[in-house]
Amino acid sequence: MPAYEFPGGIYPPERKERSNQAPLRPAPLPSEVTLPMSQHTGKAAWPCVNVGDTVKTGTLVARRDGMVSANVHASISGTVIEITDSVIIIQGDGEDRWATLPPLDWRTTERDALLERLDDSGLIGLGGAGFPAYIKAQVNEHHAIDTLVVDAAECEPYITADDLTLRHYAADVLEGAQLLARLCGAAHIIVGIEDNKPEAIQALQALLTVIADSEPLASVTLKIIETRYPSGGERQLIKKLLNREVPSGGLPADIGVLCHNPGTLLAGLQAVRDGLPLVARVVTLTGDAITQPGNYWVRVGTSVDALLAQVGVDDEQLHQVVVGGPMMGTPLTSLDTPVTKTTNCLIAATKEELPPAPAEAPCIRCGACESVCPAQLLPQQLHWYARAENDAALEAHHLFDCIECGACSYVCPSAIPLVQDYRSSKQRIRYKRIETAKAEHAKHRFEFRQARLAREEAEKKARRQARLAQQQSASSDAKGTQAVPVADLRSLRIAQTAAKAAVRKAEKVLARAAAQDPQQRHDDLETQLATAQENLKAAEARLAEARAASEQKEAP
Amino acid sequence: MSDSFSWWGVLSAVGVLTGLGITFGALLGMASARFKGEENPLVEKIDALLPQTQCGQCGYPGCRPYAEAINQGDAINKCPPGGEATILALADMLGRDPAPLDGEAASEDTVAYIREAECIGCTKCIQACPVDAIIGAAKQMHTVIEDECTGCDLCVAPCPVDCIDMLPRRKPLTQWEPIVSDRQPLRSAHAGL
Repeated sequence: MPAYEFPGGIYPPERKERSNQAPLRPAPLPSEVTLPMSQHTGKAAWPCVNVGDTVKTGTLVARRDGMVSANVHASISGTVIEITDSVIIIQGDGEDRWATLPPLDWRTTERDALLERLDDSGLIGLGGAGFPAYIKAQVNEHHAIDTLVVDAAECEPYITADDLTLRHYAADVLEGAQLLARLCGAAHIIVGIEDNKPEAIQALQALLTVIADSEPLASVTLKIIETRYPSGGERQLIKKLLNREVPSGGLPADIGVLCHNPGTLLAGLQAVRDGLPLVARVVTLTGDAITQPGNYWVRVGTSVDALLAQVGVDDEQLHQVVVGGPMMGTPLTSLDTPVTKTTNCLIAATKEELPPAPAEAPCIRCGACESVCPAQLLPQQLHWYARAENDAALEAHHLFDCIECGACSYVCPSAIPLVQDYRSSKQRIRYKRIETAKAEHAKHRFEFRQARLAREEAEKKARRQARLAQQQSASSDAKGTQAVPVADLRSLRIAQTAAKAAVRKAEKVLARAAAQDPQQRHDDLETQLATAQENLKAAEARLAEARAASEQKEAP
Repeated sequence: MSDSFSWWGVLSAVGVLTGLGITFGALLGMASARFKGEENPLVEKIDALLPQTQCGQCGYPGCRPYAEAINQGDAINKCPPGGEATILALADMLGRDPAPLDGEAASEDTVAYIREAECIGCTKCIQACPVDAIIGAAKQMHTVIEDECTGCDLCVAPCPVDCIDMLPRRKPLTQWEPIVSDRQPLRSAHAGL
């Protein structure tokens, strides 16, 4: 199979040899873990244990809240000592007693049971974004999926977690890929790997011959690609392997592809085959300040400080600790931070290794950023608009297609922190959108209230009028001395018809929205429908009142 | 001369023109009924720029009435919750000169909170709430639905036992805002590669 090209890209020094020499080892058991409730994309999980409860490794401690969320499990056995809004802290007893789920055979178990297992085990994408895996596995209910891509490119410098995972667990990763392929209905599996991981490639190639003979559910292909950052980006890898382009603002599922990280596949298989919830992950510990660099199985919630101390860190040399890779990662401001499900790498860097940036200089319009942008954006234009906070222009220039890979800031001769600008702009625009939606919501509720008050008033009037008419017909001698203002019946009838039409329109809009997106709640549209209904009732009450008044006038 | 004059010619011309007039008139009439626009699009646009807290600090009972008043020529600087951003947006759209805010800008996003132990269940706050964000019944404890509350303050004054506080709104964990001053670290992360 030929390899296709994605635009842009850079060749930063890899520095992977530091951590890929040693075999994968388990890190020492932490004495205390801090489990954040929000380690994934979406809503934070909700604690379901109390302070003082005894938990085993794998006990559910926080349940997912809503669709896009994930369960959190205790990663050591011990006692819950603190629960706050954002974390659960567990004091370990050092025994590491396990609470596992019953093992399942993914080949014979029903699809729903498997999905439930992925949900129960708190599995999320371990590549970095942390999207709940059970939702991703259900995506074929909306889109037909034909190919599952195993994203083993691992293009960021320093990180070797996927490399080591594949060297040690190649068979399990591929079996996990078969499992996920079965769930999403993909007929092909393509493993995309950069050519700088010869051992992992060897392990995979040895397996492929075995798998081809055993008639697997989905055909497996291995594709070795050139080492270039950021080929591990979902969109870039799909372009490179399949020559398909994910549409702007779309997802790989829109073009029939699903992308998974090898770590996720391994954890998925362990959750199903062994009943192990996601409580540990492979983390690359590297950087010049570490004495024993390598890859470790680390329990989720282990404090970075304790972990670095266990593998040996040269405190005098240590300049900063970066979570994630050097291109997309973020420097830690405090070492008292837990390792989460999405922490794939910790770089304890010396000052010589990752020196502070030179002072920012003005943009000279050299265009270097534009030629390396893998998303084919115009980083220069985005830079001006971001600084000017021109949000409309930013969106028109597809800011949200930026994958924040950092290639533009890497090549910038003026040392402008471009990605940082884009990140804060994205955040500002998202915040604005939330505010606008909130204002819109309040407006609908206000309108509904106004309509309800008007309806109540009109009904009250109508009742009064009806009573009056009754009284007058009873005492026939009264000769309509009261001057009842008779409203124009015709205009009231028109108002009633218009209100009816408004109700029908609101119903239609709601029905269309519900048909398009049955999963979503349409609160605002429902409020709008209720408002229209209130308006209709008010119009009817006014009409009834006017009718009663006009009858009363004619009667005497 | 009299030979060339024919009633038939005149009548047919009148007939054709009348027919055309009636046809196009009907078409236009249908089109205007079919594609009827909103009552006043400018009011809608102004309303969309207002923060929709429905607080009435502008002197009108809600944002929509104020939008109508602005359309009639009222000042654009009467909205404290919107602050300067709203004034600038309105000035930009309406082509008027921005004026300094009339009143004090809200310092932070707040939300009403009822001290439930002290509530006597008088329903006065429920009647005052412009967005129906307070639930409760007569002689029953009331409480504020935090997500629906716009922080307008209107429920505070009617409370006879003064058990309503305006507290700063809690920010969800997912609402991450970058610290503006940390421009350096990320770049330093890969500057030396």
